[in-house]
Amino acid sequence: MTTVTEAPPLAPAPERKPPRRRGRWTPYLLLLPGLLWLVVFFALPVIYQASTSVQTGSLEEGYEVTWHFATYWDALSAYWPQFIRSVLYAASATVLCLLLGYPLAYLIAFRAGRWRNLIMILVIAPFFTSFLIRTLAWKTILADGGPVVGALDALHVLDVTNLLGWTAGDRVLATPLAVVCGLTYNFLPFMILPLYTSLERIDPRLHEAANDLYARPSTTFRRVTFPLSMPGVVSGTLLTFIPATGDYINADLLGSTDTRMVGNVIQTQFLRILDYPTAAALSFLLMAAILFMVTFYIRKSGTEDLV
Amino acid sequence: MKTTKDTTTAGNGGGDVRLTGISKTYGAFTAVHPLDLTVPEGSFFALLGASGCGKTTTLRMIAGLEEPTSGTVRLGDQDVTALPPYKRPVNTVFQSYALFPHLDIFENVAFGLRRRGIKSVRKQVEEMLDLVQLGEQARKKPHQLSGGQQQRVAVARALINHPRVLLLDEPLGALDLKLRRQMQLELKRIQTEVGITFVHVTHDQEEAMTMADTVAVMNAGRVEQLGSPTDLYENPRTTFVANFLGTSNLIEAEVDSKSGDEIVLKAGGGKLVLPGARTSAPTATGGKVLVGVRPEKISLTHADDAGEIPEGRNRITGRIVDSSFIGVSTQFVVDSPACSDFEVYVQNIDRDTRLVPGTEVVLHWNPAHTFGLDAAQSPLAGTVGSAGVETVEEEVAR
Repeated sequence: MTTVTEAPPLAPAPERKPPRRRGRWTPYLLLLPGLLWLVVFFALPVIYQASTSVQTGSLEEGYEVTWHFATYWDALSAYWPQFIRSVLYAASATVLCLLLGYPLAYLIAFRAGRWRNLIMILVIAPFFTSFLIRTLAWKTILADGGPVVGALDALHVLDVTNLLGWTAGDRVLATPLAVVCGLTYNFLPFMILPLYTSLERIDPRLHEAANDLYARPSTTFRRVTFPLSMPGVVSGTLLTFIPATGDYINADLLGSTDTRMVGNVIQTQFLRILDYPTAAALSFLLMAAILFMVTFYIRKSGTEDLV
Repeated sequence: MKTTKDTTTAGNGGGDVRLTGISKTYGAFTAVHPLDLTVPEGSFFALLGASGCGKTTTLRMIAGLEEPTSGTVRLGDQDVTALPPYKRPVNTVFQSYALFPHLDIFENVAFGLRRRGIKSVRKQVEEMLDLVQLGEQARKKPHQLSGGQQQRVAVARALINHPRVLLLDEPLGALDLKLRRQMQLELKRIQTEVGITFVHVTHDQEEAMTMADTVAVMNAGRVEQLGSPTDLYENPRTTFVANFLGTSNLIEAEVDSKSGDEIVLKAGGGKLVLPGARTSAPTATGGKVLVGVRPEKISLTHADDAGEIPEGRNRITGRIVDSSFIGVSTQFVVDSPACSDFEVYVQNIDRDTRLVPGTEVVLHWNPAHTFGLDAAQSPLAGTVGSAGVETVEEEVAR
């Protein structure tokens, strides 16, 4: 090429300013619908509940804000066992989800080949039916004298779980084990999907490089694959643990009065006893507890350091 | 530990890489046809070829990342065909570097040493980082480095293990031209300094010729020709090599007569002389031969001055179709009865301003610069997409 094309003027001409000024508002405009949604359906209810939690009164005479913070203390001292139980059940379900989900996500990401999409569909398939129906199905699966319980009994698994206090007698239904199984089942996809996404992003060449640098497959997993999948592990555990802590359907349908979680207490207070301040206070306590645990967890796992 | 032993005994087995009858097929597709290749210890060896020619697959079979369908891989006296990659005293510099993104530069370089159970790695890692001039960057993460720096980390990470063979899979492919030149020299310097056998895979013929002692040109899963860069360039034995390494003008000619060591050929109405020693093709009288000559060996003279051309030179008449000035030289395309697009590179020493498109000219060159090829091959082999991006083969390799 012999001709030299004239370079476009790089300096911003003054007449260019108006379009830029107009564009300045675009991000805010785009943000508006979501922001409005959050204000109406999240911020306002939160404020409303916060005010409810410090009200006193009765259903007949009406409630009034009296800054009665003692409700929090009363709720906590009355229902702390349910709080502890919720955290324990949710944590157990999260660990189980991780143990079940990680190998599956690994398989889908690295080994499934052309079966990948089919397995993914199978993972998501439960979402096509309602949460309630699925949990009710587990009631049948774990029914007394049913094949699952029979098999567990025959294999003496129930003897072990009885000893640990997870089951009682020859029943699985209405025991902690049933609730944890239900939670695990219902939240498993929330564990698998983020795990899969972060595993799938790992360049297979990194495995080859580790292999090439004298790392046997087990070392490669420990030193390369697992550390690189940490973002998936963290988001998967959060997506499982947070909703599982507040869940009440599994404890309601698969558990008994001895397996009540904090979600069940809140539900009862709100809908049956109609003690709104206590229910609201419990909700806030739960929110605070989860926030605290999650912050601690994220700090500990150091995910912000990962790419 | 076995791996440690393998590496420490590197001295006695020698660093020759010997591939015997090695091949790789994926279903119906043959990536590498049975291949015998010996890479002498301490040499800088290049596998050169276009995308999908099987060069990366060959390299991966040496590394152990790909299992050969048949044949054996030997390092010195040791048959390593059955060894997994983590037990082979061989390290690879990957095309995309494959640095561990969650580890800093220091830990990336120390990775191999740590896996072999070496506790005090600090001194070795620091020395290695100094060798590749990255001592300051030890605590940075790979993504904080530039492409050239990442490339050097990848080299350091492999070299620190003192492998018997270092495999380089298109290591400079992602760098821009200027940096690539610099890294070519750098790699050559490192190789001379450490004396380890380097096997380098590339599609860039210039890169292969600059760096390697020996180049194997691969095409469609086979080694077309093997030799020193000069040998390959001056005496190509196939049209693929003639076209893939630089540019060649190939003219279809008919054998007219033989006189002693010289073969006289008829092409486009003229006569050309080909030294008998410079052809691998059968040269029975009346048979066809492809005559080749490199563009820079040819002189261009205006038709009016044809009388000044000394006797005994091969000459062809034609008309300039196109010319492009590129600084050190001018590249002409000449249309002649023998060949429709004859390329000629003329150094810009004394530029003849009459040589513009449309001018009648005489091309002439010393017959010693002529080479002969078997006319049974396509004269176009190796011309199209020769510098294409490495894609086809990568897909297959996965």
